[in-house]
Amino acid sequence: MFSAYLVSILILVGMAIIESLALQLAVGFTGLLNLGHAAFYCIGAYTAALLALAGYPFWLCLLMAGVVPMIFGFLLALLTNKIKGDYFALATLGFTFVVYAVALNWTDLTNGPLGLPGIPKPNLFGLDFSDNISFLILILVITLISYLIIKRITISPFGKVLAATRDNEMATKVLGKNTFKMKACALAINAFFAGIAGSILAYYITYIDPSSFTIMEMIPTLCVVIIGGLGSLEGTVIAAVILEILPEPLRFIGFSSSIIGPARQMIYALILLVILIYKPRGFWGKVKLE
Amino acid sequence: MIIVQLLINGLIAGAIYALVASGFSLIYSTCKFIHFAHGSTIAFSAYFLYFLFSMLGLNFWMAVILTIIFASLFGYLTNLVVYKELRKKKASNTILLIASFALLIFFESLILIIFGADVKTIGYIKVAEGLQFLGAVITPLQIIIIAVSLVLLISLFLFTKKTKIGKAMRAVADNKDVAEIVGISAEKIYSWAFIIGSAIAGIAGILTGMEQNINPTMGTNLMIKGFAAAIIGGIGSVPGAIVGAFLLGLAENFGIWYLPSGYKDAIAFVVLFIFLLFRPQGILGKKNN
Repeated sequence: MFSAYLVSILILVGMAIIESLALQLAVGFTGLLNLGHAAFYCIGAYTAALLALAGYPFWLCLLMAGVVPMIFGFLLALLTNKIKGDYFALATLGFTFVVYAVALNWTDLTNGPLGLPGIPKPNLFGLDFSDNISFLILILVITLISYLIIKRITISPFGKVLAATRDNEMATKVLGKNTFKMKACALAINAFFAGIAGSILAYYITYIDPSSFTIMEMIPTLCVVIIGGLGSLEGTVIAAVILEILPEPLRFIGFSSSIIGPARQMIYALILLVILIYKPRGFWGKVKLE
Repeated sequence: MIIVQLLINGLIAGAIYALVASGFSLIYSTCKFIHFAHGSTIAFSAYFLYFLFSMLGLNFWMAVILTIIFASLFGYLTNLVVYKELRKKKASNTILLIASFALLIFFESLILIIFGADVKTIGYIKVAEGLQFLGAVITPLQIIIIAVSLVLLISLFLFTKKTKIGKAMRAVADNKDVAEIVGISAEKIYSWAFIIGSAIAGIAGILTGMEQNINPTMGTNLMIKGFAAAIIGGIGSVPGAIVGAFLLGLAENFGIWYLPSGYKDAIAFVVLFIFLLFRPQGILGKKNN
C-alpha cells in the first residue's frame, strides 16, 4: 500500500525533474523567461496520447512528443525574435493561452473538454511497462538520460554561448555569434523536454484533458527553477524532489481533492514569493535574475 | 442586422477591456513592471460584491461602494507588502513580473478554495427586456456599462492631465530619477497608481460580474485581454490602451462570426502577436530604443 504510494510519487518527481530542467535551460542558462512552457508540455502530452491511441509504438510516440513541441518552440522563437524582457514573457504566456484554447475547442482532434481517455501503457521492444514499478524504472531512466543530455548541453561550447547571450547579447553578437539561433535552439530544447514530460503525464495517468495545461500548472515548475537557482542543474533536481513531496501531507490531513489542487498552487506561489523577496538567487543559483 | 449586433457586442466588450487596460497601463507606465495580479483585483472585487450583496444581503449601492474601496485597498496592499519589499531589495523587473504572476495564481487558488469552482451570479439586475436598436438588441445594463466606462475613462484622462498627483505620476513615468530630484516621492506615486488603477479594476469586476456570471478564472481572462489591449494601443499610454481595448473587443466579436466562440480568447493573442511582430510600440505608442 505505502510502497505503491511511494512509487506514484517518485514517478511524478521524475516528471517534475524533466520539466524543470527543460525550463531551467531557457530561464537560467539563456535568460528567456519562457511562460509558454505549459503549452509545450500540453503539445507533448497530446502528441503522445494521440499517437499512442492510434496504435503507434511507444518509442515513436515518445520521440514525437519531443519533436513536435520542438518545432513549435522553434516557431515561437521565430515569432518572438525581436521581443525582449517583459514582452517576451507576455508573448510566450499568450502562446500558452492559444494552445489551451485550441486543445479545448478543436474537438475533432483533442475531444475538447472531455479529454482523451484510455491511453495504453508503454510497451518497448516486447517489454511491458504496465505496472507502476516497471513504469517507474522506465521514467527514472528517461529522467537520467534527460539530465545527462541537458548537462552535456550546458557544459558544451554551445552552452557557453547561451550563457554569454544571457549575460550580454550585444557583446555576443559582436563576437560573431548568431544569438537568435542560439535562443531559438534553447527554446526548442526547452520545448523538446517539456514535451517528453507531457508524454509521461499522458502515459502515467492514461487520460489527459485541457485542464492539466492551464497557466496555473506553470507555477510549480517556475518555483523549482527559481528555488533551485538559475543556472544550476543540481539545484533544480534537488528543488524538484523537495517541492514535489512537500505538499503531500495535505493528502493525509483529509482535505477533499477539490481543495488539495488549489492549496498546492497556493503553497507554491507563496514559497515563490518568499524566495523572491528573501533569496532571489535561489539556493544553488549561479546568476541573478535580470 | 447581425453586423450592428456584433458592433454593439464589440463595444460592450471593449468598454470593459478599456477599464482593465487603462488601470493596467497606469500601473505599468508609473511602476515599469507587468502587474499580472491586476486580474486578481478584478476577480476579488466581483466575489467581494457577491459576498456582500448576494450572501450578506447588503444594500446594493452600499455594497458597490465598499467593493470599490476594497479593490483600492487590495491594490495598495499588494504593492506595499510584496512589490515594495522587492523594490527595497533592488529586484529587477523580471523578479517583479514573476512575483506578480505568483500573486495571480495565489489569489486565483484562494478564490477557488473560499468560493469553489462553480459559477455564481450576482443577480441585482433581473434579466431585462433588451431594447431594439437598428435591428440589434442591447440591454439597459449594457448601456450603463458603456456609459460608466466612458465617464471613468474621461475622468482618468483629466486626472492625469490636470491634478497634481496625475502630473506627478506622468513625471515619474517619464523619468523617475528626475522626478525624485524635484521632490516627488516615487514610492508615494507608486501607491497612488495602485490605488487608482485597482479602483478602476474593481469597477470592471463589478460590471463584468453583473453582466455575466462570476468564476475564479474571470480575473485572469480579463487581465489577459486588458494587457493585450494595452500593448496593442501602445503600452504606457492610457488613451492608447483605450483605443486598443475597443479594437480588441471588436476584433473578438467579429472574429467569432467565423470561428467557434471558444476561440474568442485565442483571437486576443493572435491580434497581440501581429502587433508585437509588426508594430511592437502599439498604435499610439512612441518608438523607443
